[in-house]
Amino acid sequence: MEGIAAAALGIALGGSGLWTLVRRRNVIWKLLGLNVAAGGAILFLVAVAHRPGARPAIEGLGSGPAADPLPQALVLTAIVIHFATLALALVYVIFLTEHRHTQDVHKLEREPEEP
Amino acid sequence: MRWLAGAAVVALVGLLALGTWGLFPRPPVPSWEEATAAFGARNAVAAIVLGARLWDTLLEVLVYAMALVGVRMVLRPLSRVQPVPPVSETPLLTRAADILLGPIVVFAIYIASSGHLGPGGGFPAGAILGSGLLLLALAKGAERLAQELHEPSLERVEYGAIAALLALGGLILVLSWRGSWLLVGANVLIGLEVAIGAWVVLHHFASSRGEV
Amino acid sequence: MNVALTGVLTYLALGVVGLLGRGRLCAALAILAGLAALAAWAPGFPERVMGGLPWGVPVAGDTLALAFWALILFVHAAVLWHERHRTGAFHPLLTLLMGTCLGTVFSRDLFNLYVALELASLLSFLLAGYEGKARAVWASLQYLVLATVGMTLYLFGLGLVYGKLGTLSISEIAVRSPDLSDPALAVGVGLLLAGAAVKGGLFLFGLWLPPAHGYAPTGVSAVLSGVVVKMGAVALARLSEAFPVGPVLVALGILTGFGGLLYALWEQDIKVFLAFHTVSQLGYLLIGFGLGGPAALGAILYAVAHGLFKGLLFLAAGTGIEGMGVRSIPALAGHLSLPVVLGLGVGTWAIVGLPPLAGFAAKGALAAGVPSAAKWVLFALGVGTAASFSKLIPLLRPAGRQGGLGGMGLLMGAVVGFGLWGLAEFSGLMTPGAWGEAFLGAGAGYVLYLAVRRFHPRLPRFTLDRAAVATLLGAVGLALGVLLA
Repeated sequence: MEGIAAAALGIALGGSGLWTLVRRRNVIWKLLGLNVAAGGAILFLVAVAHRPGARPAIEGLGSGPAADPLPQALVLTAIVIHFATLALALVYVIFLTEHRHTQDVHKLEREPEEP
Repeated sequence: MRWLAGAAVVALVGLLALGTWGLFPRPPVPSWEEATAAFGARNAVAAIVLGARLWDTLLEVLVYAMALVGVRMVLRPLSRVQPVPPVSETPLLTRAADILLGPIVVFAIYIASSGHLGPGGGFPAGAILGSGLLLLALAKGAERLAQELHEPSLERVEYGAIAALLALGGLILVLSWRGSWLLVGANVLIGLEVAIGAWVVLHHFASSRGEV
Repeated sequence: MNVALTGVLTYLALGVVGLLGRGRLCAALAILAGLAALAAWAPGFPERVMGGLPWGVPVAGDTLALAFWALILFVHAAVLWHERHRTGAFHPLLTLLMGTCLGTVFSRDLFNLYVALELASLLSFLLAGYEGKARAVWASLQYLVLATVGMTLYLFGLGLVYGKLGTLSISEIAVRSPDLSDPALAVGVGLLLAGAAVKGGLFLFGLWLPPAHGYAPTGVSAVLSGVVVKMGAVALARLSEAFPVGPVLVALGILTGFGGLLYALWEQDIKVFLAFHTVSQLGYLLIGFGLGGPAALGAILYAVAHGLFKGLLFLAAGTGIEGMGVRSIPALAGHLSLPVVLGLGVGTWAIVGLPPLAGFAAKGALAAGVPSAAKWVLFALGVGTAASFSKLIPLLRPAGRQGGLGGMGLLMGAVVGFGLWGLAEFSGLMTPGAWGEAFLGAGAGYVLYLAVRRFHPRLPRFTLDRAAVATLLGAVGLALGVLLA
C-alpha cells in the first residue's frame, strides 16, 4: 500500500512539476517545476524499491523482507545529478538576468542583435 | 497551446498511472547479503554505489564537479566587489560557531568513514561539512572565510580528490580489489569533493547577488 | 574490457588534471592514451559485467563501440589542433566530454547510459556557453531545460522497466525477449525512448539542438554535431537491441530526416543551417538502427562519416564567421578565404553523397542493407540534402588565400580516406549505377533548390515552451506507439 501511495505521489509530483514547467513564464519558476518533476521521478524509483513491511538494505538491521538496494543506489546518483544540473541552470539564469535584465521567457526569446 | 500542454501532461500522468498499476504486487527481492559482504560492506547501497556501480558514481562526481566549474566560470566575472557582511555582530553566533565547528567536523568524518556499515556515506558527510562551513561564513562573513580558505589551493585539493577517486575506481573496477578500506577511501574523497563544492556554490552565489 | 576502461579512466583523469593547467598537453596525452587503449582492445571484447554480478555495469566492445572510439579520438585530435590557441578550461572540458563519450559507447546498462548522457550534456552546456555571449548562454539554458525534461521522463521509464523486469542490463533484457503488450513495459520503453530522443536531438524532441549548436564556439559545434548528439542515437540503438522497437525507430527516423530538412531548406544562418542538417542526418542513423542487421552496420559507418564531414563543415563555417563577423549565407558569399572554401566544398561534396568521398561510401553501405522501400526514403532524403546544400554554392568562390587549414586538413584527409576505403571495401559502389544514382540525386536536389528558393514559408518557430510541449507530446506519442504497436 505504501508502495502504491509513494508511486502515485511520485507521478503526481512529476505531472505538477511538468505543468509548472510548461505554463510559467519566469525561468526560475520553470526550473523549480523541473526540480519538482525530477523529485517525483526519484520518489517513483524509491517506490519501485519498496516492499511491504520491508527492512532497510543494511545487514543486521530489522527483520522481514528486504527492500531492493539497487534503485536506492540509483536514486543517490540521480539526486546529485539533478542538484548539479539545477545549480548550473540557476547560474545561467543569474548570468542572463545580468545581461538581459529579464527572467521572462518571452522576452528572452526575442533575440538581441549581437554578432 | 494551453490545451495542448494540459493534454500532454494529463496523458503522461495517465500513461504512467496505467503502467504503474501493472507493477504491483512487487516480487520478493533476491538475497543481497553475500554480494554486499564481498565488497567488505554491510550497507548494500554503499556496496553498490562505491563498489559494483562505482563507474556510475565516478561519472556522477564528475557531473557535480563540472557544475562547480560552471558556477565558477560564469559567476567569477560577475562577482561584486562589495563584500558580504557577517549576518550579525553579536558574539553569540561567533562563539557558537567556534564551539560547534569541532563536533561538526568529527560528525562528518564519522559519517564518511562508517558509510559502508550503516546509513551515511560521502555525500551526506560532505553536506554536513559544507553546512559547518556555512555556519562559519555566517559568523565571520563569507569574504573573510574565502580569504582564509584560499580558492586556488582549494581547487587543487578538489581536482586532486577527483583524480584520486578515478585511480581508486581503477583499483576496484579494473583490478577487482575488494575491501572495506577502499570504500572508506572513496567515501572520504567524495565527502571532501562535496564539501568543497558546497562551499564554492555558497560563496559564489552569496557574493554575486546582482541587481535586478 | 580492462584496457578500454583504463583508457577511459585515464582520459577523464587527464581532463581533470588539465583543469589545473597545461590543458592542451593533457588533452594531447589523453588522445594518445585513448589511441593506445583502442589499439589494445581492437577488434573488440566480449560482454563483461564491470563490478561483478548482481549489480555491476555490463560493458562490451562491439563494432559500434569500436567505430565510435575511432571517430571520437579523431575528431578530438582535429578540434584540438584547430582550437590550439584556446587556453583556460576549454580543452580540459573538451577532453572530459570526449572521455565521457568514449565511456558511453561501450556501456550496456540503462542507468549507466543515463548518467553518461547527463555528464555529456552538462559538459556540452558548459562548452556551448563558454564564450559567455548572452545568446549562446540562452541557447545553452534551453538545452539544459529540455534535456532535463527528457531525463526526467527517462527516469520514470527506467523505474517502470526495472520494476517489471528487475534488471538494467541490455543483454539480459534482450535474452528475456520482453513482451511489449504489457502496459508497464510499453509505457516504460516509450519514456526511455523519449529521453534518449531528447538527448539525440531528434525532430520534435531535440528542438534545443539548432540554437545550441549554431551559437556555440567553432570547435564546440563541430564536436557537438559530430559526436555528442550521436550519443543519443547510440542510446536508441542500445534500446532497440533490448526491446523490439525497430519500427518505432524507423518511423522516428523518417520524421526526423524530413523534419530537419524542412527547416534546413530555408535557414539562412550558416551554422544554424548546418545544425538543422545534423537533425536531418540523424534520420539516416535511426532508419539504419531500426532496421537492424546489415543496415545497422551501414548506420554505424554513416555515423562515423557524418561525424567527420559535419565536423569539417562546422570548422569551416565557424572559421569563416570568425573571419567575417557575419553569419548569414548571402553575406558570407564571396568573402571566404581559400582554406574555408576548400573545407566547405569538400564537406558539401561529401554530405551530398557524391563519389568518391565518405558520404558516398557510407550512404552506399547503408542503402545496401535496407529493403527497397527504405531505399526510396533514403534517396528522397539525399535529394533534400542536396537541395538544401545547393545554397552554399555561392560561398565556394574564394577571396584570397589567407589563413591555414588547421584541423580542417586532418578531417579532409579522413573524409577522402574513408571514401576510398569504402570504395575498395564495398564492391557494389564501383558500378556505374551507383555513381549515376549519386549524381542523379545531387542534380535532382539542385533542381529542387531552384524550385523552392523563391518561396519563403513561415515555419513555426520553436520557443522553449513549444519545444517542451512538443517533447511531452512526443513522449506520449512514443509510449502510445509502443503500447499499440
